[in-house]
Amino acid sequence: MKLGLPELRICHLYPELMNIYGDRGNVIALVWRCRRRGWEARVTRLSLGEPIDPSRHDLFFIGGGQDREQMMVCEDLAGEKGEALRAAVEDGAALLSICGGYQLLGKRFLTCTGENLPGVSLFDAETVGGDTRFIGNVAVDCRLEGAESTLVGFENHSGRTRLGPGCRPLGRVIRGYGNNGEDGGEGCVYRHAIGTYLHGSLLPKNPRLADWLILRALRRRYQLEALPPLDDALEDAAHRAALDMVLREGKRPRLSPRRRLPSPR
Amino acid sequence: MKSRPSDYNIRMDMRLAAAVAAGKAVTWLSRRLGAGAGSNFPGKVILRLHADAPQAMASRLPGGCVLVSGTNGKTTTSNLLSGMLRAGGRLPVHNRVGANLITGITAALAQASDLRGAPRGDIGLFEVDEATLPAAVERLRPRLVIVTNLFRDQLDRYGELESLARRMDAALAGLNPGADVLLNADDPLVSSLGRDTRATVHYYGIEGARDTEKALRHAADSKHCRECGSPLAFDAHYFAHMGRYSCPGCGRSRPAPEFAASRVELRGTAGSRVTVVTPGWSADLFLGLPGLYNVHNLLAALGGAQLLGLGEEAVRGGVEGYSTAFGRGERIPIDGRTLFLVLSKNPTGFNEVIRTLRGEGEGLVVLAALNDRIADGRDVSWIWDVDFEELAPLPRRLVAAGTRAWDMALRMKYAGLDTSRLEVRGDLREALRAALAAAEEGETVYALTTYTATLELRRLLTRLGAAPGLWEEG
Repeated sequence: MKLGLPELRICHLYPELMNIYGDRGNVIALVWRCRRRGWEARVTRLSLGEPIDPSRHDLFFIGGGQDREQMMVCEDLAGEKGEALRAAVEDGAALLSICGGYQLLGKRFLTCTGENLPGVSLFDAETVGGDTRFIGNVAVDCRLEGAESTLVGFENHSGRTRLGPGCRPLGRVIRGYGNNGEDGGEGCVYRHAIGTYLHGSLLPKNPRLADWLILRALRRRYQLEALPPLDDALEDAAHRAALDMVLREGKRPRLSPRRRLPSPR
Repeated sequence: MKSRPSDYNIRMDMRLAAAVAAGKAVTWLSRRLGAGAGSNFPGKVILRLHADAPQAMASRLPGGCVLVSGTNGKTTTSNLLSGMLRAGGRLPVHNRVGANLITGITAALAQASDLRGAPRGDIGLFEVDEATLPAAVERLRPRLVIVTNLFRDQLDRYGELESLARRMDAALAGLNPGADVLLNADDPLVSSLGRDTRATVHYYGIEGARDTEKALRHAADSKHCRECGSPLAFDAHYFAHMGRYSCPGCGRSRPAPEFAASRVELRGTAGSRVTVVTPGWSADLFLGLPGLYNVHNLLAALGGAQLLGLGEEAVRGGVEGYSTAFGRGERIPIDGRTLFLVLSKNPTGFNEVIRTLRGEGEGLVVLAALNDRIADGRDVSWIWDVDFEELAPLPRRLVAAGTRAWDMALRMKYAGLDTSRLEVRGDLREALRAALAAAEEGETVYALTTYTATLELRRLLTRLGAAPGLWEEG
């Protein structure tokens, strides 16, 4: 264990390819919440062809991208690079993946056109492309231990994700579609790695989840019981306003998938 | 069989006349009731009564139709072009208030028509929502289509950029062989359009500009070659993904513009001095609109004017007589202060406005209104791609407003604005009052507002007697 002031080392994966829905706000929030505590936060941007050293980063982030960019990243993550990412998570590193990034970290992605993209297999999850998009504000009852709260965000995806027994959902949707619009689950958790469909950006309006990630990421190298609290009055007000808004919108119409989703495995 | 414009005959006139009359009545009524500019609902009524009304009316325009599409700059470009047409002695029929769906175009045509459905004008000039371009081309058979730029905007409505580009390509492929297409050479995605069109493709672009960006911004969208997927190499960045680029992968490079700005001197919020070069003439123009993005709008309008047969005199007249498009940099006096109203609806638009504000010094009073209505895009995630870090040092007071006021406030907090300088007022009337109260007599309040917030604020100002109604303009 290291002494002295903690330093959070964030690895932002494919920042120029996988950032179509403002997901970089999550990195802004992570850095800001460290610096406010008087700690340093360093962001390393890694893209195509650049190897991952699992021991050099405490927290990995990957956002959502367009189809073509997602294919490029899928190819790049095959083999050693994906292995290094899995090794880091097995070693206790934290990870947040959103939408397209989340899908790539599952076992495979079956596109609408029948293409089979192999995933990193970090999450025991499979995604099948659908013919309708799940779009709208979302509220989630988050059951994550140490970050129990509601989550608010915005989803925009056609992929339907099903989880296997090797990971559990991040929470249950109160409003919105979540993983597949059928089983009520949203996102997934494996060790300190989170996958979710929520844009927004997610972390600024859900500060407890941001701190959950920061604490887990730092505990790998530093002796930390808890994080010093911050003044989150504005964050909480923004969270409440978004939650009130999505609750007022009422229940979503049920979109019945044209074809049955195969269950994982 | 599909009906062509020439198929419309006297037999159909009665139905068209009835539809036009109903549309006019609804417009009149909605204005009387103060329901706003009444630009879409009358169009819906007309289309219900006569599904082919827009093409029936448009076919009576002797000079045909011009469509202006793209993410940003549609309204400014068409207003500039409208001014040039007027200066050249033409009478355009124009959807001025930014109502750019088929319904809005229909309403504009009906509004300009007599009761038999014959428009009082000689050329149609319509700004068209990117996603509506295919339908508009199909109905109006335009002689000229201008595409300004393509940015990420409202992904929940339009889908991803590449699929939008494919739909636009399909629309351009449907143009008549005698038609013209005018594209922005500086936007790698836009300049790649028109592959399958039989129309003649022309380009405009900026050749000489100081103040170019050193690096691509966070909101740069099209950084990869559309042909081969390689990252593009840029000699110069203007803003977002606009610049002088080439593809190291397949060798594709920026097309040489026919209509160019050879020198640009930006003068803050006052405007720019631009030297323009065209195949026939070149001139120095002063454009009373801020930022490089408005230089693009000028070039688009100028190129359009030339392709429609207008000369230097008409172009100059249009630029000099330009009155600001609604909400696009208007200065409105109110309570002894000036409200500077700028529409800021997506990352690139916002970044350019922020860049312009940086020239205004520090200690500013800013009103930032973020709405998430359908016309704004329901997803407000994009505000995290705007470089608000550059705005943060400027305000001594920032009032966050709109349906997503709290998101706006939080974005500013994380951009580094001290929360003691932040005020959250969801309601626009209260927000306006707070911002005016924070400003000194004679000072300017900078209002940066998303699309529906701009409409709402403008309506509020009209009610307060500070600004003329939308329909009184032009």
